[in-house]
Amino acid sequence: MGQDSKIRVLVAKPGLDGHERGAHVVAYGLRDEGFEVIYTGLRQTPEQIVSAAVQEDVDVIGLSILSGAHLSLTKKIMEGLKAKGANDVLVTVGGVIPEEDKKTLEEMGVAGVFTSGSKIKDIAALIRTKLGKNA
Amino acid sequence: MIEAARKSNERALAKLISHVEDRKPGWKDIMKAIYAETGRTCVIGVTGSPGSGKSSLVSEFAKQLGDMGYAIGIIAVDPSSPFSGGAVLGDRIRMRDISTYKNIFIRSMATRGMLGGLCQAARDVVRIMDFAGRDIVIIETVGVGQDEIEVVSASDYVVLVTYPGGGDSVQAIKAGVMEIADIFVVNKCDRDGADVIVSEISAMLDLSTETVEKIPPVIKTSTFTKEGIDKFMEILSEFIQKKEKGLHFQEEHVRQEVMSILETEMVSLIKEKISSDGNMEKELKLILSGKSDPYSVADELIKRVAGI
Amino acid sequence: MKKNSKEEIKEALKKWEDEILNPRVKKFNLDKSPTSFYTPLSWDNSHFLEKVGFPGQFPFTAGNNPFDFWRAYANFAAKAGFRSDWGGSGKSGKYGGFGTPADYRDYLFKMQSMGRYGGPNIAFDLATQCGYDSDSSFAEGEVGRVGVAVDSMQDFAVIYEAYTGNLEIDKVPSNFTINAPAAVIIAMYACLAKKRGIPLNKLEGTPQNDILKEFIARGTYIYPPAPSLRLFRDTCVFCCKNMPALNINSIGGYHIREAGATRVQDLAFSMANGIAYIEAGLEGGLEVDEFVPAFTFNAFGGSMEIYQEIAFQRAARRVWAHILRDRFHAKNPKSMQIRQPITAHIGCSSATLQRPLNNLARAVVGGIAAGMSGGIAGAFPPFDEPLGLGHSQEATQLQQDASRILIYEAKVTDICDPWAGSYFMESLTDEIEKDALAELEKIEKMGGAVAAIENGYMPRAVAKSAYDRQKKIENQEELVVGVNCFTGEHEIDVSINRVVEATYDPELMKTAEERQKANLARLKRERNGTAVVSSLRSLKVQAEDKDKNLMPAICECVENDATLQEICDVLREVFGEAQPMKL
Repeated sequence: MGQDSKIRVLVAKPGLDGHERGAHVVAYGLRDEGFEVIYTGLRQTPEQIVSAAVQEDVDVIGLSILSGAHLSLTKKIMEGLKAKGANDVLVTVGGVIPEEDKKTLEEMGVAGVFTSGSKIKDIAALIRTKLGKNA
Repeated sequence: MIEAARKSNERALAKLISHVEDRKPGWKDIMKAIYAETGRTCVIGVTGSPGSGKSSLVSEFAKQLGDMGYAIGIIAVDPSSPFSGGAVLGDRIRMRDISTYKNIFIRSMATRGMLGGLCQAARDVVRIMDFAGRDIVIIETVGVGQDEIEVVSASDYVVLVTYPGGGDSVQAIKAGVMEIADIFVVNKCDRDGADVIVSEISAMLDLSTETVEKIPPVIKTSTFTKEGIDKFMEILSEFIQKKEKGLHFQEEHVRQEVMSILETEMVSLIKEKISSDGNMEKELKLILSGKSDPYSVADELIKRVAGI
Repeated sequence: MKKNSKEEIKEALKKWEDEILNPRVKKFNLDKSPTSFYTPLSWDNSHFLEKVGFPGQFPFTAGNNPFDFWRAYANFAAKAGFRSDWGGSGKSGKYGGFGTPADYRDYLFKMQSMGRYGGPNIAFDLATQCGYDSDSSFAEGEVGRVGVAVDSMQDFAVIYEAYTGNLEIDKVPSNFTINAPAAVIIAMYACLAKKRGIPLNKLEGTPQNDILKEFIARGTYIYPPAPSLRLFRDTCVFCCKNMPALNINSIGGYHIREAGATRVQDLAFSMANGIAYIEAGLEGGLEVDEFVPAFTFNAFGGSMEIYQEIAFQRAARRVWAHILRDRFHAKNPKSMQIRQPITAHIGCSSATLQRPLNNLARAVVGGIAAGMSGGIAGAFPPFDEPLGLGHSQEATQLQQDASRILIYEAKVTDICDPWAGSYFMESLTDEIEKDALAELEKIEKMGGAVAAIENGYMPRAVAKSAYDRQKKIENQEELVVGVNCFTGEHEIDVSINRVVEATYDPELMKTAEERQKANLARLKRERNGTAVVSSLRSLKVQAEDKDKNLMPAICECVENDATLQEICDVLREVFGEAQPMKL
């Protein structure tokens, strides 16, 4: 039987930050890479993001944060995923992330941090490699 | 996984859906295993033009049904890109109020370019939700493609949503969904022009009395002012309570489902054979050089592949 | 010498193409020439007065004025060594805000002790911008972060403890970067003046108050577009009648372009929004020349394309002037002018995180464009902008010096509209104007700005343009030095020392949320609960009647210490909440 396996990605903007450009570009870009992107829009709480990730059975969560609140928001989401037994979901973070915070995020278990100038192709490649999936 | 999903474990349910939706090895075994335990859920199909506020309406009535104690599953279907096969699925944006509601499970689904297959895949997802204890499953589609219409037509109850200001939204309804609707909802009725839409639809329904058995109700709603929501809930819950044995037990429906599974399977079998058999290279060359034509080649291939 | 006829030029052009241009294109094996050349055939100068005109005259293509205030005293400022704070213009101070109102007040006192006396130019935190109090679950982690938290009139008054005496609010202007709850902040400002016994007509400043672009770009909206515009109407009428020296709004194409819009979308969408605001004011019963002179623009977007940005500014001035004169029959030239603090610039999104010192070179390009399009030659932004850590003293110094070099050494701003009459620039200006008007017409056919937001057209168009640009950069259709070209191993990432003044105390930032929640709890305990409830109830009744101006009721709520969120919640109940955009 033909396999139809698709990489599913949740693109989410936690917090009140309303700058959507990066999230939009990544959503469109990953769609054109053949991924199924669930876009949940602005002002998502960490609980909503975790719940969506579980129900949608996504392989990846892409968080976009430009307000400087990336450390606390990401931490809450990582904890929420763990509580639901979904800590195998890859989490990436994009936005305005100072160099020294990158390390902190990686220590939390974030699989990749993407700042201004990142290529969609690189994001897609990282996801494919980490998942070992090609769709 | 099956056992955990039966206990309504969200993560297990989600994984089971992916397995079947991806048609991973063993998917049919899963469906076979759960089939006997399904057929009791009530399936509500919701369709309508983009901008009609379907998702907000779904969000509203799903929450009310949830409050009544029903466990709800929602399947939100959006089209895949024909170019990349990917998709941007955005219906959850309009369902944020219920996205962490304990009785409600929302799943976005892409059409994945499956001709006719979407219908079966959606049916499978409904069945898995049914198995996982969902009393009511709501399928929401954009009422534009034939595929989407087919999906909702496989529901027990079909809600058609339109709205004032949608340009020729009533005209668009004529294109085929008319006959399958059990109720017409004119949403966003706090805007000007709702009454005109209601009368246009009523007029259209009057003219079509010969083709439909029973004239469906036409009601106005607004998810903002809450006008008409009570009426809608009344009609809906009356239907849910009265609902007897589902499509599961209707011969015509079961026949249709077997045919649909067969069609999909046959097509993929044929495709597989053809690709392992030179991918039609030779035959295509014959056509391109004027030595044959697409019809003869198709006849030839059917003979060879299916032995007919 | 005989005058050249058009035919002669046409003939000569053909000959030039055949004998010079095309052979060269062929010699280098190209499909087409990489350069263009413009002739009198490209632009007909027989309507110079109508299309360009003189600086300070309709249609203002050549500029609002032959020279501005800063230019009049530029040489004097240089000799006196006058140093302005970047981000501040005229009498207003540097844009900022953090922590609790007391934190920010103390910071302002510290700045004043260092000789920085500008008026308040307040950044609010995201919770305030979205109409939530500091104790809301939505505010978690956001309190005092990107600006100061303001929950009530008392908070507002605490910030203004830094502005008394010589800096009294009738002496310095106030700027409020806030949109969705702008009505509440304007009410607080009015209420503060009342408490201090200062006549409202003495108040100067600018609330951003540009809610429509929030739906297209920045995302800090609360109510759906239509009731949001009604609130704008109410502030517009209130300001016009009571605070005539206060600007009404600051319309921003800047945010729209930064969110990804093309130049043409930037212009068309800004104009569509501007038209919606004018119509709102008219609906409120005002005469066009009574309130439009108090409209300002926050600047349009920018890019590295220097010619296009200069043409854009010229086209924008002409388009707005025509809209006001021809459509709204304005008579006052001030109604027809785009009043903005800066003109062309490169936009922060042109600055790169990679090899950031290059941003200085980029900013200089923007400064030249600005100087050549009627603005101060500001080399904006400081090179370290994309690092997201605050501007360093070094970057700010380099930026200031770059602007000074452009003004005093390169003398970029000695000529007013230096490109006037250029075949190339005039035809480019015409082209941008034509394309923007076509896009504007499309929006008008949909029913105007509000309709084009409700149906998702404008925000989605911006998202699509952002993605197109990303694709062009990824496939090298557009080249960005140090990002997608010239990134080889021999390139050096030049760095210099960066000293970032610890602008805001990080310890205070950490505890701001907790302290502000305590402030709020105390307020809720101590205020007159009955007065709060009754003023909120009266606001609700008024809100239900579309024809009522809500400002008096909001002022009453504010005076009775109702919180920002309590006021916004009442309006949420009546107006509903805006839905986020579906892609």
